[in-house]
Amino acid sequence: MPSLVEFLQSIVNGIGLGLIYGLVGIGFCVIYNASGIVNFAQGVFVMLGGMVCQVLLAELGLPIWLAIMVTIPLVALSGMVMEFAIVRPMMHRGATLFAIILATLAAQIMIERITLITFGDRPRTFSEFTSGGPFKIGGVAIGYQLFWILGCGALLVFLLWLFFTRTRVGRALRACSQNSEAAQLLGVPVSQMMLVAFALSAALGAIAGILVTPTQYTAYNVGTPFGVNGFIAAIIGGFGRAGGALAGGLLLGVLQALAIVALGAGFKNVAALSALLVVLLLFPNGLFAGFGSAARSQ
Amino acid sequence: MTAVSAATADVPLLEAKDISASYGHVHALKPTSLHVAEGELVTILGPNGAGKTTLMRALTRLTPSRGNVFFRGRDVSRLSTNRLARCGIVMVQEGRGLFSQMTVRENLVVGGYLHPGDIDTHLQAVFELFPRLKERLDQLAGTLSGGEQQMLAIGRALMAKPQLLMLDEPSLGLAPRVASEILGTLRELNRRGIGILLVEQKAPLALKLAQRVYVISLGRIVVELKTDEIESHHDLARYYLH
Ligand SMILES: Nc1ncnc2c1ncn2[C@@H]1O[C@H](COP(=O)(O)OP(=O)(O)OP(=O)(O)O)[C@@H](O)[C@H]1O
Ligand SMILES: [Mg+2]
Repeated sequence: MPSLVEFLQSIVNGIGLGLIYGLVGIGFCVIYNASGIVNFAQGVFVMLGGMVCQVLLAELGLPIWLAIMVTIPLVALSGMVMEFAIVRPMMHRGATLFAIILATLAAQIMIERITLITFGDRPRTFSEFTSGGPFKIGGVAIGYQLFWILGCGALLVFLLWLFFTRTRVGRALRACSQNSEAAQLLGVPVSQMMLVAFALSAALGAIAGILVTPTQYTAYNVGTPFGVNGFIAAIIGGFGRAGGALAGGLLLGVLQALAIVALGAGFKNVAALSALLVVLLLFPNGLFAGFGSAARSQ
Repeated sequence: MTAVSAATADVPLLEAKDISASYGHVHALKPTSLHVAEGELVTILGPNGAGKTTLMRALTRLTPSRGNVFFRGRDVSRLSTNRLARCGIVMVQEGRGLFSQMTVRENLVVGGYLHPGDIDTHLQAVFELFPRLKERLDQLAGTLSGGEQQMLAIGRALMAKPQLLMLDEPSLGLAPRVASEILGTLRELNRRGIGILLVEQKAPLALKLAQRVYVISLGRIVVELKTDEIESHHDLARYYLH
């Protein structure tokens, strides 16, 4: 039987990872709300974030802050390319959403393979943003990077809220997700809004990737687990709600961590997927569908 | 702006030539021509399923259409919906098309997307027209009453500074009194110089208001009348003025 300290420790670890899942989940929601598309390449942005940042640090010797400032726009650009080169032409030609979703999956595999060919399959990592630590309370160790994850995560959520409620483009994006025709009739350029959504969503993924890499590693294939867990987080939260995705991510992260200490590492994904199945069976519209606005349930 | 578009009195505000649209094999709108002169209020009448909404959607390119559309003489046939709004063609959709999970204020502000600098002045103008909106600024649009929703839809369209305001059945589902209040507001807007193209099934109201009427049936315009001719047009009167 694991001790109390072990349980607390795993909750702490779970919160960190859960916040990362939450960010990825929000990325799913941003694109889904703007376009109705589930972007299966979402995890790839997490991988690219960690990978590009590592390469800039290790091979170009950039300082961490500069590497981060270069990585985020680069990955955001990759999201815009995906919209412009894959999603938009398919939409214009009247492709079904299923076909477009499949195309994003293909893009994910393609980008992974290109990364593999370019950078090899060696797992990479870089050091925590702040050296030293961990910080100890009782027997529970809290790595400094966790503070970065929590701080940046909270800041990002606040900035996203500001963006969606206080800025012209953010409000227009929300308007498009509620009634894209009405938004167009008022002069909102919907195709540019899609570009914004993909850039934003990719940037979120990149930040998640940069934040999490020091606590583990990155490699060409880490995108899939992050993508899947972020997707689960978004679904638990009632797909399309950013707040729900965040809560879903935290829940999922803690649950996985607890499953690891209580049952062993092999149960990490069993726990995640059983949680998903339970939620889908009991609350088909997500755990938080009852709260706040129940608008997206139809 | 092209040279032709200079405010020559004879150049109509909006002119559609042989505009048509179909859904698959269903020709919901057969080649149809119509125009709205500067400062005019034109009504489109017709039974359910006649193709009124299809015509409005074709004109604003929400539905792909064939044929040509000119705005003050400029060919705008190939422009997308949002570019048309930029030119000054703004439509209130059938069913109002509000952003129901956004507040009244947010709906209005998104309406002013194209004119971010003028939002406050435009808001004041909308409040003067619809004081009830001012009392409900922080309410979600979806929770407004039908009449308030229609006010919001029109107010939001005004935030986009339309030169041609198109409305698809704004009185649908409203009590007669609210409906005539709304239509009265449209008359006022028209007096201020905004061209109006209105789909309206409540014929008595529509005919009182309009300077010209198109009657559409089975996907084509069957009659075009000035309102002073309507009394003498007995068949039509019997059909629509009951
Ligand atoms: N998306 C669509 N797909 C297929 N057929 C359609 C579609 N929209 C409209 N139609 C058909 O086109 C015809 C015209 O429809 P439209 O909505 O333009 O009529 P309307 O005059 O606006 O009617 P109402 O007064 O009921 O609003 C109808 O027969 C309708 O069934
Ligand atoms: Mg209609």
